[in-house]
Amino acid sequence: MSAVYAVAGLEVHAGDRAIVRGVDFAIAAGECVALVGASGSGKSQTCLAPFGLSPLRAMGSARLCGEELVGADEARLRRLRAAHTGFVFQQPLTALTPHLRIGRQLDEAWRQAGAPRPDRRDLVALMARVGLDRGDEWLDQYPHRLSGGQRQRVMIAAAIAHGPRLLVADEPTTALDAGLRRDVMALIARLRREEGLALLLVSHDLPAVAEHADRVVVLEEGHVAEAGDAARIFAEPRADYTRALIAASPRLTDPPPDLPLAGGTLLEARGVAVSFPRPGWRRGRIAAVAGVSIGLGRGEGLAIVGGSGSGKSTLGRAIARIGPADAGAVRWQGRDLPPRKAMRPGDRRLIQPVFQDPVASLDPQWRVADIIAEPLRHLRPGLDAAARDEAVARAIAEVELEPAIARRRPATLSGGQAQRVAIARALVAEPEMLLLDEATSALDVLVAGRVLDLLARLQRARGLAILFISHDLAVARRLCGRIAVMDGGRIVEEGDMEAVIRTPCHPVTRALVAASA
Amino acid sequence: MRALILRRLLTALPTLLAVVILSFLLMKVAPGGPFDSERALDPATEAALARAYGLDLPLHEQVWRYLLRVAQGDFGPSLVYRDFTVTDLVAQGLPVSLTLGALALVAALAIGIGAGLFAAARAGRPVDHAIMLAMTLLTALPSFVTGPVLALVFALWLGWLPVSGWGDGRPAFLVLPVIALALPVAGAIAKLTRAGLATALAQDHVRTARARGLSPLRVLVRHALRPALVPVASYLGPAAAGLLTGAVVIETVFALPGLGGYFVQGALNRDYPLVLAVVILYAALILLFNLIADLAYGWLDPRIRG
Repeated sequence: MSAVYAVAGLEVHAGDRAIVRGVDFAIAAGECVALVGASGSGKSQTCLAPFGLSPLRAMGSARLCGEELVGADEARLRRLRAAHTGFVFQQPLTALTPHLRIGRQLDEAWRQAGAPRPDRRDLVALMARVGLDRGDEWLDQYPHRLSGGQRQRVMIAAAIAHGPRLLVADEPTTALDAGLRRDVMALIARLRREEGLALLLVSHDLPAVAEHADRVVVLEEGHVAEAGDAARIFAEPRADYTRALIAASPRLTDPPPDLPLAGGTLLEARGVAVSFPRPGWRRGRIAAVAGVSIGLGRGEGLAIVGGSGSGKSTLGRAIARIGPADAGAVRWQGRDLPPRKAMRPGDRRLIQPVFQDPVASLDPQWRVADIIAEPLRHLRPGLDAAARDEAVARAIAEVELEPAIARRRPATLSGGQAQRVAIARALVAEPEMLLLDEATSALDVLVAGRVLDLLARLQRARGLAILFISHDLAVARRLCGRIAVMDGGRIVEEGDMEAVIRTPCHPVTRALVAASA
Repeated sequence: MRALILRRLLTALPTLLAVVILSFLLMKVAPGGPFDSERALDPATEAALARAYGLDLPLHEQVWRYLLRVAQGDFGPSLVYRDFTVTDLVAQGLPVSLTLGALALVAALAIGIGAGLFAAARAGRPVDHAIMLAMTLLTALPSFVTGPVLALVFALWLGWLPVSGWGDGRPAFLVLPVIALALPVAGAIAKLTRAGLATALAQDHVRTARARGLSPLRVLVRHALRPALVPVASYLGPAAAGLLTGAVVIETVFALPGLGGYFVQGALNRDYPLVLAVVILYAALILLFNLIADLAYGWLDPRIRG
């Protein structure tokens, strides 16, 4: 069978520099080829540049349904994109046009290859094919009314509306939480079977790739580290880089990690409730967290796991006393811990947070040394400059960064370096507990794996208690012996991590376990 | 939506009230009065006039009486154009000024958005830079310069259009004043549109639209333009204010019988009722434009509607 899409000796150039070199693969109808690699490996560029959807230039050869894309002029590329390809991008929040109703966008996609205007029934049927019943209602909605998973389904519906032969999915599940990832990948797989689509998948979700791809191309900094049959690559990877990639994505089938023993009760939260005003005028309040009680021992790792909107971040912030709380009490070793503003200055060091977006949580105007030193200025004002510099240098060494990084600014740091700086900033305060709010979710697999290793070492060396907020059970398991599963602002299941993984009781827990299996 | 409009109209009232009281007091603080002239009136006459118009009352009483009358729709007599009430004068000038202002706003939006789109479609090329330079110049040039230059070129030299006057509202007479008034605002709108488009074109949903193989023009107009116009909508309020003040100058330059002339004469002559009426009118127009801008946001980006 001839290939729908075939790439040979493909290069991607930024100016004179080749950032991707020597990529070959071919996808026949009904097949799936996956491009995997860490961020910056050039996998997205490899997938988008030949279609003229990147500012970078493709060289070599990329043939779509027998027609050469490389070197084709803009009008021809446009025609080939419109006729034969559907695209699904990473960010369902921003990839749909915010001011056009869902129906208008699907209508546009339906007609992109020249089909006559669809009637409403056609569009409702299209929505049903991607698992959106009640499509009739959604057609008149603007994208922001839909949840992330629904939006990604609409994206997929738009991508297949004109009957393409090739589906290009660039990290289609990365921005979704663990449960949704599975559903969306299953949907793409079903459509591929039903429509005989050739699928080009870019992903760093290796378990999903292992499940769905026929062949895999592993990209390492712009060149092919390894390519071949997916089953073979996951069973016996040949390149070190592939092995590192596979080892870096934790799975629930891995043996349980060796965690430090928990000490006596450190923190106890009782009846914590948080609500926010509904958007708009006089529409009441939404309960984000509804009366949650939870405790944490010295040196213990507790995972709070749940889907987006389950209230896990809000709960974490309320417990750490950095976010609002309407009701409830937090006790630290038996005495009351008031909200941060009313806290005794000495107590402010006790709990330190690290957030999801490493670059956004550092002030872009400041140098790394000043960022790390800032907590010292407030928590230990007596410290002189020399002692402060020394503490900063120690913290930088502790998170395994080069001393020279102290003089740089956040914009020049990679995601992993920035997150290590954020961890160093938390450590200089000499905390006894860390609040890690999706602290590795925005990082690339390899980088996230190394940051998790670092956190595990710190947890043991410093006897740190960790409140780990995550949507990914397998990641949380690396640091936490206990788990609380949240849904709709309440804890629906709580207990020993391994026991919960073995015998999940609540449906939400079961879905989370299935998603990370 | 209806709640928003209602709320805005309710909050507009106190704002208007504050504007009226403040202008009233400011007028009184300024030295001089409506009956001062080179030749001093005899004190008895002056006292009689002051009593007749209530100018001898304590200040707060004057404000109160004024507000009471305005609330009944009576803006009082003009102190300078005897025989006329302020309402007569406004009724005479307002249609001219409104026609001028509305047409200028439409022209400014058309020219500005058109130029911004055109430049963005050719981003980075010489045409783009040339258009943006021209638009910067237009914003910088005051209308009392562009007005006479336009009149000189198109009326005196080329003879295509009349130099000045109202001509009973015939379109030919309006072309030059409308354009002179619109150009500075058009320049600002063009720059906002161009900058907004540059941001919008870099967004993910535009890549989705391009992936669909749509023509560049369609991507630009259908997927990028509306989000790009949000800053333009924010500028509508200040633009309305600019057009109103600009109109005062333009009406003088082109000898149009609009409100602007009365406003200037009224202020110079301390014709309190006339000036206050015009101030109330202008303030109300600006509040109206801010409301329109808020409604425009909701249309441009449904996420703002919630």
